[in-house]
Amino acid sequence: MSHFDREIRGHNEGHVDEMSCLQYLEGLLERPRALELSAHTEQCADCRALLRTLERETKLLSFALREQEEPVPARLLAGPARERTPWGWIVSFGLAASGAYWVWTSIIDPWQAQMAQAGFGGSDLLSTLFIQGALLKGWDTMWTMVQALAVVSLGLVGFLLLRRTLRRWNTIALMMTVIVAALALPLGVSAIECHRSDTNYTLPADRVVKDDLLVTGQTVRIDGTVDGDLFIFGQNLTVNGHVTGDVISAGSMLTINGTVDGSVRASLGVLNIHGKVGKNVMSFSGTILTESQSEIGWGATLYSGDATLEGRIGRGITGRMGHASLDGFVGGDVSIKAKDSFDVGPQAQLLGKVQYTGPSQPSVAVGAKIANPIDVNIEAKTSNPDYIFSGMSLWHKLLFWGASFIFGLVLLFIAPGFFNETVQTADRFGVSLGVGALVMIATPVLAFIACLTVVGLGIGISTALLYIIAIYGSKVFFAAWLGRGIFNWGRSKAGSSGPSEHQSFRTVTASGAMVGHMALGLVILYVIRMVPYVGIWLAVMGAVWGFGAMSITLFDRMRHGSAAIAA
Amino acid sequence: MNASEQQKLADLLARARTGSLEAWGELYREFAAPIFRFCRRSLPAREDAEDATTEIFMKVREKLGQYDSSRPFQAWLYKVAANHCWDMLRRRRIRQDLETEGVEEMPLEHPDPSQLDRLLEERSSQDMREALAKLPSRSRMALVLRYYTEMSYDEIAESLGVRRNFVGVVLLRARHQLREALAGQSNSQGAAAGRGQ
Repeated sequence: MSHFDREIRGHNEGHVDEMSCLQYLEGLLERPRALELSAHTEQCADCRALLRTLERETKLLSFALREQEEPVPARLLAGPARERTPWGWIVSFGLAASGAYWVWTSIIDPWQAQMAQAGFGGSDLLSTLFIQGALLKGWDTMWTMVQALAVVSLGLVGFLLLRRTLRRWNTIALMMTVIVAALALPLGVSAIECHRSDTNYTLPADRVVKDDLLVTGQTVRIDGTVDGDLFIFGQNLTVNGHVTGDVISAGSMLTINGTVDGSVRASLGVLNIHGKVGKNVMSFSGTILTESQSEIGWGATLYSGDATLEGRIGRGITGRMGHASLDGFVGGDVSIKAKDSFDVGPQAQLLGKVQYTGPSQPSVAVGAKIANPIDVNIEAKTSNPDYIFSGMSLWHKLLFWGASFIFGLVLLFIAPGFFNETVQTADRFGVSLGVGALVMIATPVLAFIACLTVVGLGIGISTALLYIIAIYGSKVFFAAWLGRGIFNWGRSKAGSSGPSEHQSFRTVTASGAMVGHMALGLVILYVIRMVPYVGIWLAVMGAVWGFGAMSITLFDRMRHGSAAIAA
Repeated sequence: MNASEQQKLADLLARARTGSLEAWGELYREFAAPIFRFCRRSLPAREDAEDATTEIFMKVREKLGQYDSSRPFQAWLYKVAANHCWDMLRRRRIRQDLETEGVEEMPLEHPDPSQLDRLLEERSSQDMREALAKLPSRSRMALVLRYYTEMSYDEIAESLGVRRNFVGVVLLRARHQLREALAGQSNSQGAAAGRGQ
């Protein structure tokens, strides 16, 4: 018995084993053994048949593996994008400027014109939502409207989702049509009396306006009664009479000596309250003064440079101020963040909890009656260079860095391909910046417009949430790009050759390297942000850059995805 | 690949290594399709294959300077692709190992040629690919490396991280698993036909 007979065919009842047949077919048997096998198969029909069948199996397998039975995705065939930085940059910024101009001329300007003409009649949904919504009429009205819109939207979105036969672009077209139709839909005329004056306007004391009243003028005085809401805009505004609804105001100075049964919502240089407000006061003003005889029935939400509150406030106070002084009655909780200081005067009676955040301890006068000890949180001014490099600030920075890093890791884990592509896209810095600026401006505008429509409310809110996440995530992509650039630069300087061809990439995977790049980039980004004045702008630029790269990658994926489906 | 094509590829590589975007673009367009098909065969999902193709070319672009031009470029490219896909599969392997536990110890019976012939009878390429998709990662990868990229046993051993002597066994087991998957298809088709009658 030959060597072959002993070693290869022994246990298969005198036949060649399968492994040897395969190696023979693939030319891997040593020549003497191959010759022996060849000689054996000439005499053995079974082994000859096995060789033939295995060869057939190999051919079938090879053909099945190499057959081009499905198209290669178009985005892969399209190849890597070429550098077109200057044109992309110019076009993107041009589009951004055009978009901003379009938004101004198509939405803001007409709306302002409508306001100026005081013709709320024939208003569209946009202005109605503003006028009748949260900004002017309060959250109760707004909430009712949102609930109604949400219910209808959910029904329509559910209907669209069920209609799987609708192709994506058809659906989008339908949505856009509905949005346009909803925006153009004229709504019912609101009853309102309007007075536009370049100089002065006075509503006499014996006059009663039975509708809402809108007044604009340099000096406006309301001595009479408004049985509705009062919209009042001008330089010197005074309410001496009685308003049964809300007062909505913008201008230089508003003084309320009379009575407002509803709420006051104002954006002013100075807001001075001597009289009585039945419900809430919400104000964005340079200075706010509520005098000792004043009364606010419910609460106050205040954002101002200087706030002196001496009157009676039935419920709580929430706000951010430069300097805050409390010297009156407050029935509820107080939560104040003051940039400079916080004083509690001798006439103060604070019944609820008091929370204060500011740069120094509050000054509490003798005689002040405070039901609970003030919860003080000392927070140094961020503009102080000593604070920037203090332990607490660095600890915060480290925490923020950690949060960003974990966010990036999650992104990298969920979508490594997308992450890598985005970082690669960031190489096209001009286009990324331009597109980033454009999409950053356009997205919230579109989301807002979508929110105004019945069908688009859900989409608008989802878009807004995704937008916020994307804004946060954009710095991660920029950081990874930055880190990669620095890493490569450092390596080229050091003359490192990296892993050899034979080691290939087994020891340094793309994801591992990307994690390192991202970590390094984030550190650099946070260090840059510590630089006073310039740092924040560089960080914003980085965020826009990353946002643009992300948008381009998403767009490319969607486009090529559609192309592949079409193919 | 004939001599002129080889020369063209060498020129392309030389230009791409100097940073020519145009050359890199040409190189990419030349090899994107075969690399995508390789990934498609190696990885379970089309989306994975698309992502992997992009990532492989990113790696190749980054490491092009390390390519030894005395060796065939395609071999190096497939090696990079194989390592990348195998890394992807290894990350998911713990779960799959549990699913395929015991397969390694399964005894391999000597095939009956006539039975094997009947099994392969009228099998389409599509049947073969469907059966291939059902194999454990390592078996599928081994067959792809051998019969798609035509890697040597040494190269397969290096890519899969197994001893060279073990490659033949891996391939043999993979073929047996493939036959079982094909037999499973026949049984399920037979059962479906039976229900239809």
